[in-house]
Amino acid sequence: MFVRVHILSLIFFISGFSKEPTAGEKLFSLHLKPLFAEKCMACHGDDPEKIKSDFDMRTRESILRGGEIFEDEVLIPGQGNKSYLYLLSTRVEEDLEMPPKESDKLTYEETGWIRQWIDHGAPWPSEQRITEIQDKYAEGVQVVTSKALSDDWQNRRYKEEKLWAYRPLKVEKMPAGEHPVDWFINRRLKRVGLKHAPDASARELVRRLSYGLTGLPPHPKEVRKFEKDFNQSKKALSTYAKKLMNSPHYGEHFARHWLDVARYADSGGFANDYSRPNAWRYRDYVVRAFNHDKPYDQFVKEQLAGDEINPNQTENLIATGFLRMGPWEQTGMSVFKETRQLWLDDVTDSVGQAFLAHAMQCAKCHDHKFDPVPTRDYYGMMAVFSTTQFAERNASFLPSEPRNNFDSFTALVQSKITSYEKQKRDLQEKINRLRKEETGSAKVGDNGLDPGDEASQSRIYKNLIRHQIELDRVQPFTHAVYTGKTITRNNVQGRLDMPNSPWQKGYFDSDVIYDGGDVYSEGDTVIPGGLSAAESLGKMDSTPFPAGKGKRRLALAKWIVDKKNPLTARVMVNRIWSWHFGRGLAGNPNNFGGTGELPTHPALLDYLADWFMKNGWSVKKLNYLILSSDTYRRSSRHPDPKSLDEKDPKRQFYACFIPRRLVAEEIRDSMLWASGELNPMVGGIPVRPDINSEVAFQPRQIMGGTASVYEPDPLPQQRNRRTLYAEKLRGLRDPFMEAFNQPGSDASCELRESSTVAPQALTLLNAEEVQDRALAFAARLLREQKSDPAVIQRAFELSLGRKATGEEVVACVMRWKSALKSENKKKPVHPSFPKKIKRTVMAEKTGEPYDFWEFLPASTSYQPDLQRSQTDARTRGLAHVCLVLFNSNEFAYLD
Amino acid sequence: MKTQNIVATLSRREALYGLGTGIGSLAFSSLAQAENIHSIGPHLTAKAKRCIFLMMEGGPSHIDTFDPKPELAKRHLQRFKRNGERESAMSSGERYFVKSPFGFKKAGKCGADFSSEWYHLKNYADDICFYRGCQVESVNHPTACYHVNTGNRFGGDPAVGAWITYGLGTLNENLPGFVVLPRASYPQGGASNWSNGFLPAEYQGTPLRPEGSPILDLNLPTGMTRGDQRGNLDLLAQLNKKHFQQRPQQDELKARMSSYELAYRMQMEVPGILDIDGETEKTREAYGIGDLKTDAFGRKCLLARRLVEKGVRFVQAYAGNWDSHDYISRAHGSLIRSVDKPIAALLGDLKARGLLEDTLVVWCGEFGRTPDNGIRGGGTSYGRDHNPKAMTMWFAGGGTKAGHTIGATDDIGAEAIECVHHIRDVHCTWLNLLGLDDNKLTYYHAGRYKQLSQFGGEVIKDLIA
Repeated sequence: MFVRVHILSLIFFISGFSKEPTAGEKLFSLHLKPLFAEKCMACHGDDPEKIKSDFDMRTRESILRGGEIFEDEVLIPGQGNKSYLYLLSTRVEEDLEMPPKESDKLTYEETGWIRQWIDHGAPWPSEQRITEIQDKYAEGVQVVTSKALSDDWQNRRYKEEKLWAYRPLKVEKMPAGEHPVDWFINRRLKRVGLKHAPDASARELVRRLSYGLTGLPPHPKEVRKFEKDFNQSKKALSTYAKKLMNSPHYGEHFARHWLDVARYADSGGFANDYSRPNAWRYRDYVVRAFNHDKPYDQFVKEQLAGDEINPNQTENLIATGFLRMGPWEQTGMSVFKETRQLWLDDVTDSVGQAFLAHAMQCAKCHDHKFDPVPTRDYYGMMAVFSTTQFAERNASFLPSEPRNNFDSFTALVQSKITSYEKQKRDLQEKINRLRKEETGSAKVGDNGLDPGDEASQSRIYKNLIRHQIELDRVQPFTHAVYTGKTITRNNVQGRLDMPNSPWQKGYFDSDVIYDGGDVYSEGDTVIPGGLSAAESLGKMDSTPFPAGKGKRRLALAKWIVDKKNPLTARVMVNRIWSWHFGRGLAGNPNNFGGTGELPTHPALLDYLADWFMKNGWSVKKLNYLILSSDTYRRSSRHPDPKSLDEKDPKRQFYACFIPRRLVAEEIRDSMLWASGELNPMVGGIPVRPDINSEVAFQPRQIMGGTASVYEPDPLPQQRNRRTLYAEKLRGLRDPFMEAFNQPGSDASCELRESSTVAPQALTLLNAEEVQDRALAFAARLLREQKSDPAVIQRAFELSLGRKATGEEVVACVMRWKSALKSENKKKPVHPSFPKKIKRTVMAEKTGEPYDFWEFLPASTSYQPDLQRSQTDARTRGLAHVCLVLFNSNEFAYLD
Repeated sequence: MKTQNIVATLSRREALYGLGTGIGSLAFSSLAQAENIHSIGPHLTAKAKRCIFLMMEGGPSHIDTFDPKPELAKRHLQRFKRNGERESAMSSGERYFVKSPFGFKKAGKCGADFSSEWYHLKNYADDICFYRGCQVESVNHPTACYHVNTGNRFGGDPAVGAWITYGLGTLNENLPGFVVLPRASYPQGGASNWSNGFLPAEYQGTPLRPEGSPILDLNLPTGMTRGDQRGNLDLLAQLNKKHFQQRPQQDELKARMSSYELAYRMQMEVPGILDIDGETEKTREAYGIGDLKTDAFGRKCLLARRLVEKGVRFVQAYAGNWDSHDYISRAHGSLIRSVDKPIAALLGDLKARGLLEDTLVVWCGEFGRTPDNGIRGGGTSYGRDHNPKAMTMWFAGGGTKAGHTIGATDDIGAEAIECVHHIRDVHCTWLNLLGLDDNKLTYYHAGRYKQLSQFGGEVIKDLIA
């Protein structure tokens, strides 16, 4: 082999370019060869067994021969305009557009190449000559990667601009004394000839900062102080920012951002949606990490490999919960090998998205269509996790983990268990009494039993298991992983214990490429690794990862936080930027590949990424840097909107601040905050707030029956916590949160959306939970203020962070008075809360509905929030005004 | 009314994208007329304009409904063992064959097969195109439901109805484009079965709940009168107006103001749309309304007809639970009877109103069932497990091949053997009938252009007239 190659290159050397390539040859070698490979060959040659429409594009001869539909008219050398190879590529033939997918369609330039190439006689140079021509003339960049599935892919070229994320940081020198954010942002504004907006007002800024750093509104006292200080010196902003970052609510708010990326949930989803009783410890770990300003590199390492670093550190074990955050279950109806693979795919993709802004799934079945990520890299990264196993590991509670409500929670779950156990006994007694010897004809009722009772038996059995699992919530376990062999499991219900010796029982998952993504089709062997393009283009030192029983995840974690890794710091800096400005410097925080939006300010992104690493990967310091810029202070209103529309239609140059709607959690938290009901306690087991009762009482199908009814926590101070702490069940979403675009926990969410639809208005106008807040808000106001105008002033301060104008006071007082008249006529009745509810579901054995009673043991101790029956008409009248304030645009939007 | 001005100044784009197809865009009827709103399709000549999807949740048995297997009678209760790496605990171990408890009859000119429990639907045999070739990948309810509903086994993607509304827009701005009529208990996997996935929020299926408030928080809260609410909305409009005057560039504030007026009108108009009391006694009887056995699904079918008639693009109605592991005879017997009359009435009604021609009706579950069963409770049960390899689905109207049975399963109904297609091809065909090309109906998300079939598929031409 070597000899032959040697001789060939010798011939090249002697001959050089025997003759200059023709225009046709160049077109083919530089453009059409790679174009055919990317867009056509998947159906017309890559797999000779499966050639669509019998049209084979592997050689000039086979193209000339044509296929099923077109024959020699496919390629008529010299006549591009008449050749169907060209015509179909221009998509003029309905149903025969090529390539078939609209998203794959060729550009005008590309179809032009095909036509011209045919016009030039459709020459097809030899492979050697193609290489020769490419080496001399090709534009674009080749990327060294691990190894592609095909040579064409391996040799393909990329536009330089699409490779920005893999290149080492380019850190520009900046004039001394300049603020880096402003220097880069203003340079761009100057270039496009756009003036920036002036500073926002102090009142706008104090709200922007407070929500931006804590997700909560500023206290009226803070507003007044900030206004005074800021008008004296702009430094007041930095001082206030520091103060906010020292508040424990900062960590909660930033955790919420990160948990969107990690897709945190307290249950596993799918058919059973079993509780993940210890997941909350991961949620609190993230809160603590942000509050303590844990260096980001450490944060990454702990989540990926905390156990491999030091399993005796509780915090390390808790952190690995990240790896298990996706939806997952294994039941008697699933094949373990497949669900295991489901997790491996999930973790590979989510690690790629969260830390490297790469949707790895795109490279699972074939080399990545756009990015330099070969399938081998996908399976290499998957191999990092092939020895990672699930366990609920022993981890005693840290002093920083609040254990409030442990007893009340246990009592509540226990009361449900007791109730089900009693039902089970009663039912068993009845069944024992009625059961008859079966005749063997297998008919319903042949056993003498009521099919509804039989269904109830399985339902009760299942709910007992479900609640037993929940009891682990207060046990010192953590939802974690260990490194060892894979053990086949048929049915996973609840806690998985650590084996005594992780390498004894079980098997090694194969570290291979699964051809076409099929877990039963093993291909080439792979070794654990990261993204090879990041190594080659980023000029990283590539150190091999261990395989076998080695610490594979630790190796990956170190690779990710290697300061030479071109992606990691950029990715996190971009996220933090997007959390402050509502959009990333690169528009897709989870996708830095060629299909993601290119960065609008690459130099700034690189500068900040470098700065971030040099400043100890400190998120707080980076926040501080960003918030102390002029850019952050800008008003959301541009003085010259016409010029803004013209020069920055996409609003990507930061000439003004982009206003934003509060996210779902902020809306609820702010209402609780204004009404004075918010319990600001930080951390702890999930809480169960009041949710829409129709949804709470709706029977929810799970495998084997109907899940027990959702019951809110009994005491207001337990329920009225920040929304971050609300139990997040994949199978039962809070409709309030859903209405306001809280993402589901199935996929990683890079940035919140904010739609405006009428159901949101229905929720804020009619939902019981909003009515309750408005009433409590009114009661609070009347406790604190005497005169009508003072009450209204206070209402504005607490809900909108400002004083009301005279006109507003008049309007609100008028509304209050007319509402008072209406309320005077009403005699609110104290609502009763059911102790049991009747449910009707289908019995599987009969295909007919049956009823059963569901007991609500928690509701015996349920204390509602302030009720209309407990208030006078004056309070209830004011509640209408409060409701309006909660519905107002000013409440929902930040300038 | 003050808001009229706001509505009038709303640009078309805002009107469409800001509030668009979310339920209750009532203020826009004058703007919208009955044209296709913000559609990106159709790409092809459409055979169907709208779709009613009858989702038989739980997995109905093809063997006991539309695909007779006399061979099973010969093997009834014959025992065998099955094991293997690819088998779940459910499908492994000792098994036995189970014959269908029902007789079968041919119906219609086409001679389609119906089990004896179907009394009414068989009158429409010549309007139906049965398909026996579809296969899915998952044997678990939630993943299989996600697969049929969204093209993706693991959930999180847009449902067929969301894709179709995204592609075609709605025909009536007063109603959502995609309505779901679920059972009181949602299917396994929950609302993700009618999710908008990564498509904009307005394409989410709007469930009309069979009990309580049809749309959450549609009713006024306890103690609130219409007058109270009007007073509140007027104050709200006053505060918002002033706030907006200082921020005239912020379009979303305008849209949000309008959404409150829309919500207000919805509260009054939606109950009327859902009120089936206005239908004649004869119609109600035909759908089986009032008879406990058929009432629940009868209401859904009648509502489906009312909704498509009013311009809703896609209605999905749930029936079930067809998960009969134990007693096919009783369980499938009652289930068939619970849907037989309502569906027959629906087809008849659509036909009589000239709607069937361009309304695609789809009937299917998430998978079929096995010809054999496992040991249940220590003994034998005449039931069936889940079977992803064989099922029957059928289509009516909307340009499908009426009066034909396409594809076939093997002689015990274990596996499809003729005209075999993955569910993705059914999805492509489904879109095609509605004038949409799966390869063109894409949405850029998470690094690539996504489509219902996931990575592309083919149209099953045999199903198209």
